[in-house]
Formats: sequence, structure tokens, C-alpha cells
Amino acid sequence: MSGYGFASLKVLVVDDSRPIRSLIKTFLSGFGVRELFEAPDADEAFKIVCDIDPDIVITDWRMPPTDGIDLVERIRNDEDTPNPYLPIIMLTGFTELHRVKQARDAGVTAFLAKPISAAALYKRFCTVIDDQRPFVRVGDFFGPDRRARRKGESFTGRERRHS
Amino acid sequence: MADQGKIVQPPKRLKDKVRRTGGPTPESAILRALNAAEDLMDTYQGWAVDDLAKLWQTFQGTGPSAPAKERITKMFDMTHDIRGEGGSFGFPLVSVIADSLCKFLEPRQKLGTAELEVVKVHILAMRAVFRQDLKGSQPTLEREMQQLLALLRDRMPVR
Repeated sequence: MSGYGFASLKVLVVDDSRPIRSLIKTFLSGFGVRELFEAPDADEAFKIVCDIDPDIVITDWRMPPTDGIDLVERIRNDEDTPNPYLPIIMLTGFTELHRVKQARDAGVTAFLAKPISAAALYKRFCTVIDDQRPFVRVGDFFGPDRRARRKGESFTGRERRHS
Repeated sequence: MADQGKIVQPPKRLKDKVRRTGGPTPESAILRALNAAEDLMDTYQGWAVDDLAKLWQTFQGTGPSAPAKERITKMFDMTHDIRGEGGSFGFPLVSVIADSLCKFLEPRQKLGTAELEVVKVHILAMRAVFRQDLKGSQPTLEREMQQLLALLRDRMPVR
């Protein structure tokens, strides 16, 4: 046994689709997460965030009448939020990658494309846990540093000092 | 002068709560998750058939004289959910068809008789996938379906 132990994590899953909520919770339970909460929309999700102070939130984007972006903005900026640094994984439909910039600008920590697989969810979960990016407050934006490079990613072009 | 912003180092709460070793290996954690989801995968087909019935009901209330945009949005939201669920529960072909229907519905303000036929074809195709129990990845069929539905959509430009 040499993997992560997730037993003490509290995770909130937000999606208006009951099957997707159930699937994600079942996957997380298989990974060893014991405290799982769910909400069908952003309003209820924010109430749960304030009540239980989760360690990670996984939220869908489109949940009429509210949406995942509303939730991210409230978690980052609302005065009632218990943890503005809360890691947030945003679920996106597979044709919606053009919206990634909008979600990133709202302060999302990571993305997970639908359809969801257990392997992709596990990988993203670990990425969020290992995420060491600082937060930045600039203008209206508050969230993980959007300029940060991924681990192991380094500049491979010609250095200016060499020219 | 540009706003330089403020950098804040968040507390290392997750790092303190997650043990780095001693848990199951990634492979066994994923396998456990897949095993745990097996029953749910079987239940999904029942949920999906119900969702398709609701979509069909909404579609039937969408005649050329009905308040169009509201119903189109409702159908889009339902189809969007099916798109995300299909592939996640082992029916990628359903996601392909639902994706095509989302693309068809999203830009439209109203649906004429011909457009309604396109919607109908998509719903019947999704229903057929469940009836035929076409589970699992079928790249050739998915590609052909994608191309066929794209042709159908292209014949109905947004007016």
C-alpha cells in the first residue's frame, strides 16, 4: 500500500443531475473518502459550504437557475464563506472547453471533463491535493494564480540573456 | 499604473489532512471505485429512460405555436444532462447524440416543422441506443453517428 489516504476529507459534490452526483460520490467512496455531501444547485451548495466547511468542492457548471460560476464566486468572495481558498473542481461538458478561461477567471482550481471516469477523477483529485499555487487578489479577481506553471513544466525556449 | 495585486499563500489544510502513504495504490483505489459503481451503472439505464420520456414529453409540447425559447431552453438543459451522463455511465453513443442535439438547440429561438423533425430524430436515436443496449466504446459507430447528425444539422441553418 503506497497511495494517498483520503479518509479524513470532507467533500461536497454539486450537480443538478442525480445520476452524476451518485456516480461521483460512489467513486470517491471507493477512493476512501468517508464524509460526502451533495447539493443539486449553487444556493443549497453554498449553505452546505457554510455549515460543514468542506475540504474540496466538485461542482457542475450548468445548474439552472444558478450555475457553478456563481458558486465559485461566492466561495471566493462572500463574507460568509468559511474558507475562500477552498479547492474547487469544475465539471465541464466535453464541448465546452472554450469556457475554461471564464471558469479560471472566476477562481476555479481545476477542471474535470464530462464524461467522467474513475481514473480521471482520481487524477484530478490528487492534482488538487498537491496544488501549491498561491492565491492572487488583483482587481475583481481572487483565486489560484492563473500564471502558475504545472509541476515539472519549464521554459524550453531560448533565454533572453543568451542573445 | 497597472494593479500589481496581492499574493497570498493559502493555509496547507489539505496537505495536513491527507496521508501521503499507507492508503491504497492508485490502481486499487480506482478498481475499488469501479466495483462500487457497478450497481449504479445498472440503475442508470432506468433513470435515463425516465429522463428521455420527460424530454419526449417536453418535445411534444413544442409545436410551432408554443412559447418557443422557453421550451427550447428546457429541452437543452435536459439534453445537456443526458450528454454528461451517457458516457459517464458507459453509453458514449448517447453522449454523441445528445451533444449534437445540444449544438442544434442552443442557438435557436424557435423551431419550425423541419427543425422539430431533427429534434425528434435525435430523441428517437437516443431511445434506440438504450433499447439496443449499445454499451461501451464503439469508435466507428460513434464517428459515423457524429458525421450523420452533423449533416442533418447543417441542412437546418439558424434563421
